Amino acid sequence: MKKKIKSFKPAICLILTIICLQLFLFFSSLVYAHKVNTHAYREGDKIFGECYFVDGSPCKNSKVEVYNFNGQKILETTTDEKGKYSFITKEKDGLKIVISAGEGHRVEYKIKEAVDRKEVKEHITKDKKSQVEPKTWVGRDEMKQIIDEVVDVKLKGLRNEIIDLRKQMDKINLRDIIGGIGYILGIWGIIMFIKRKKNAS
Amino acid sequence: MHISEGVLSAPVLFAGAILSFIGVALGLKKIKNEDIPKVAVLSSAFFIASFIRVPIGPTSAHLLLNGLLGMLLGWSAFPSIFVALVLQALLFQFGGLTTLGVNTFAMAMPAVLSYYIFRGLLRRSKNLAFLGGFLGGSLSILIATIFISIALLETEKSFIGLAWTLVAMHLPIAIIEGIITGFVITYLKKVKPEALG
Repeated sequence: MKKKIKSFKPAICLILTIICLQLFLFFSSLVYAHKVNTHAYREGDKIFGECYFVDGSPCKNSKVEVYNFNGQKILETTTDEKGKYSFITKEKDGLKIVISAGEGHRVEYKIKEAVDRKEVKEHITKDKKSQVEPKTWVGRDEMKQIIDEVVDVKLKGLRNEIIDLRKQMDKINLRDIIGGIGYILGIWGIIMFIKRKKNAS
Repeated sequence: MHISEGVLSAPVLFAGAILSFIGVALGLKKIKNEDIPKVAVLSSAFFIASFIRVPIGPTSAHLLLNGLLGMLLGWSAFPSIFVALVLQALLFQFGGLTTLGVNTFAMAMPAVLSYYIFRGLLRRSKNLAFLGGFLGGSLSILIATIFISIALLETEKSFIGLAWTLVAMHLPIAIIEGIITGFVITYLKKVKPEALG
């Protein structure tokens, strides 16, 4: 038995070299297979989204289908050169976005139902009514608009950051790859163990 | 090359699963105990090969090495590729658990075919062995793309168009892999000719 395993050494060495070479290529960032990902967020009636492969490259001109809560197709659009897409919908319930990037690549993303702004606003106004009206030079509506605008601008940066973070999380990391190799060798070890037991009995 | 979840219809998935099951069972039966280290190492080589991406056109293609596996393992390429695909699906969501059967068959069957077609060449002179390795390595990929196109036939409608784009996309990869496989085969022929038997 020992002899036989020994005789496999050159072959195994060679293949291990191939693996090492591949790991080296991993570092030169040539890696990443092509899983597709997408994220989207809601802003009023408008929905913005972005679709990209795990390495961060965009899915250009891919078909985007939008389904409502009951699984009915509402509308269809395509991504632009940067993999971004946006559409307007009155649907307040949850939405399901399905993007097919061709050659069997497909990704689904669910958007939660919209927070009803009116409700929030009413809540705020009720609270405010109970308080003494503050003395301001700006009208209440105007103030609200200003706040909305400022918050939107601030949130945009945050949203981009979240998308970037998600992209990074979706990237393949070396730890998983090495772990995967370990699993494979382990599985074959178990198979060998079972086979040997069978032969012995 | 990996078909994602939710793309194929149930009959296609079922057919792929059954065909792969037969292949895996046959492969497992044929493996000799002392060959298992070789199978395991090639299995992990296949696992990693998918991370090496070559950007071509709108999407990207990656190495497969299924030809190399087929040349060295024969029917054992089936379980070898299957194990690697399970882990790719679980760890990285490449392909998916339901499409495992279709993906395994599409990649392992060309490997087995090239084993039977080009095995004779490997025992000849060094140059012919290289040629055998090159043809086996590159044709395995191209046949795999055709299998994938057949599986996608129902979803994509235009078979010829899809098959052409897939083949064209994988042509550079096929050539690269052919060269890799050829060199590995000639090297093995020098240091350990019985591995090619």
